[in-house]
Amino acid sequence: MTILVHESTRVLVQGITGRVGSFQTKVMREYGTKIVAGVTPGKGGTMVDGIPVYDLVEDALCEHEVDVALSFVPARFAKDAAIEAIESRIHVVVLTTGGIPDRDVLTLLNYATIKGIRVLGPDTPGVVSPGKCKAGVHPDRVLKQGHVGVVSKSGALSYEVCKLLTEHSIGQSTIVGIGGGPLWGLTQREVLEMFESDPDTKLVVMLGEVGGTMEHEAAVFIEQHITKPVISLIVGRTAPTGARMGHAGAIIEGEGETAESKISALRKAGSLIARDPAEILSRIQALGV
Amino acid sequence: MRLLEFQAKRLFSEHGIPVPINVLLGSSSNLENLPYPVMLKAQVPVGGRGKAGAIRPAADANQAAVVLGELLNTPIKGNLVRAVLAEEKVEVQKELYLALVIDKLARLPVIMASDAGGIDIEQVARERPAQITKRYIDPFIGLSDYTVRYLAKRIGIEEHVRDFAKLVYSLFGILQRYDCTLVEINPLAVTSNGLLALDAKIVLDDKAGYRHGDLFGKLKAEQTWPGKDGRSRSEELAEEKGITYVPLGGDVGMISDGAGTGMLTLDLIQDAGGEAANFCELGGFGGKESMQQALEVVLANPRVKVLLISLIGGLTRMDEVADGIAAYLEGHELAVPLVVRMCGTQEEAGRARLQAVGIKALDDLQAAIRTAVETARRS
Repeated sequence: MTILVHESTRVLVQGITGRVGSFQTKVMREYGTKIVAGVTPGKGGTMVDGIPVYDLVEDALCEHEVDVALSFVPARFAKDAAIEAIESRIHVVVLTTGGIPDRDVLTLLNYATIKGIRVLGPDTPGVVSPGKCKAGVHPDRVLKQGHVGVVSKSGALSYEVCKLLTEHSIGQSTIVGIGGGPLWGLTQREVLEMFESDPDTKLVVMLGEVGGTMEHEAAVFIEQHITKPVISLIVGRTAPTGARMGHAGAIIEGEGETAESKISALRKAGSLIARDPAEILSRIQALGV
Repeated sequence: MRLLEFQAKRLFSEHGIPVPINVLLGSSSNLENLPYPVMLKAQVPVGGRGKAGAIRPAADANQAAVVLGELLNTPIKGNLVRAVLAEEKVEVQKELYLALVIDKLARLPVIMASDAGGIDIEQVARERPAQITKRYIDPFIGLSDYTVRYLAKRIGIEEHVRDFAKLVYSLFGILQRYDCTLVEINPLAVTSNGLLALDAKIVLDDKAGYRHGDLFGKLKAEQTWPGKDGRSRSEELAEEKGITYVPLGGDVGMISDGAGTGMLTLDLIQDAGGEAANFCELGGFGGKESMQQALEVVLANPRVKVLLISLIGGLTRMDEVADGIAAYLEGHELAVPLVVRMCGTQEEAGRARLQAVGIKALDDLQAAIRTAVETARRS
């Protein structure tokens, strides 16, 4: 089954005519993703790579059924585009854009909660179920269909780990990027919950980092509700306190935000711990999944 | 951006939050007409100023001149003092704590109040969490009167509830209007004349600067007297160009195209026995220009003996960042060896472009890290 996206998932791309949107749309199509429509205000009636472009999400929905809205809309307009997708009741909204003001993210996330819509991101590479659907920007060569579920704050770190797994013939069920924070739609805990009930996923790799306290919430959930093996890698072991390590969420301030405290909480909760991608590989090989 | 106390207090005053009478002092200020006795407070963006000796009393102009001389141009927790705020001394009956902050996991603004003011609130949170009262604010409802009454009752200032309500609403207004991620008053003093914000901390969301005209720029300019003590050329360049750069003290320079993979690379450099010189990442939309700028920033550090570029592109296109590396090499003589690890989106085109300028990109991260660390060790 996989989570969030599968063989028949139909994707609408917001910001499809932009430099990034049009390029990534082409790459996703080549991968086999069913992109049915694009939206860019003022560009309705044009085509991108054979995909019809509409002015409004509602116009697109008159002609197509859509399961996921994937947004490449620039930060200044990202909230508006997300609200449009949420009001149109598209069930999953993926926000790749980074740098959206916190107040906007807060508004759109709370609105999505009220409307019962799942938001992935912002600042996420998206979600991919290898061989089935890629609603994201993951490089194709790191992907291989299989049974390892991956949830990551960082896009690039998930590519790094999947590259190694794929090179060793270990495939992935779904790779979910939740985004770099400091505010998140879907959290590690929620994605873990989905993986737990997904028959295609046999074990979960959780990739976290310094900053914030989300991994502690995930640890409590792993201890209480997860029966599948979880392997966690927390990067930023060598990060200095108080420094902003690129991701807005990755500032170490409180004691619970260090890599060390997260690693120890996850270990206590029963997660296996890896120090680097190579250890993730060896642990999966040892588990024989 | 964290505002300095005098900037935050100016915003407070403009929005009706009472603050002590104050005067901003530099090296040539006239000290005769200050509201003595005063407290002299070094304007540096760090907490714990009291313990660090950055807040000192002065009874008259002579004392003030001595204290000012001692504070100005002195580093406090790595920040050179360039301005001092002189403030009337206030008789305090009680010190409270009040803050509005975005709770990242709850995705809601939260208001926090405590009758344990004037001390390190994180310590109170650890040792006596019950002494901090928290209420979430629904962004679609806003602040409610009852929430204010609730807080006033919990922190024991019911007799000041009208003043308190006015202050809390003003504070929430500031949070919303200026895109703050934190607005804090610690301590909030109860005096015979009512409530008074003795300190002020405001953190602005830099991502929202574009919708505040030139306000964020002006506030930043007020702070950028040659800031941190001994700030390096790399740090200055990074700030000027808006590049994420954290100096770390070792000799292996590092540039990555993502935050997570950058942190991983740093961890692995240390595991391999090396010491990273810095953290520097392009962010998801990195292209030619940001790569060129990152190279300038990282290579401005004379301690760098080898530069490791760690790339695995999703949104970032390898052909574009390769163009950035090639363009940099055209204009500069490279003083240190370069190790490039490149894979991901458009990697074939990226490799070809690097090949054309004589760089063979590696595919394996561990191998690239070993090469970089060994190169640094040998040189």
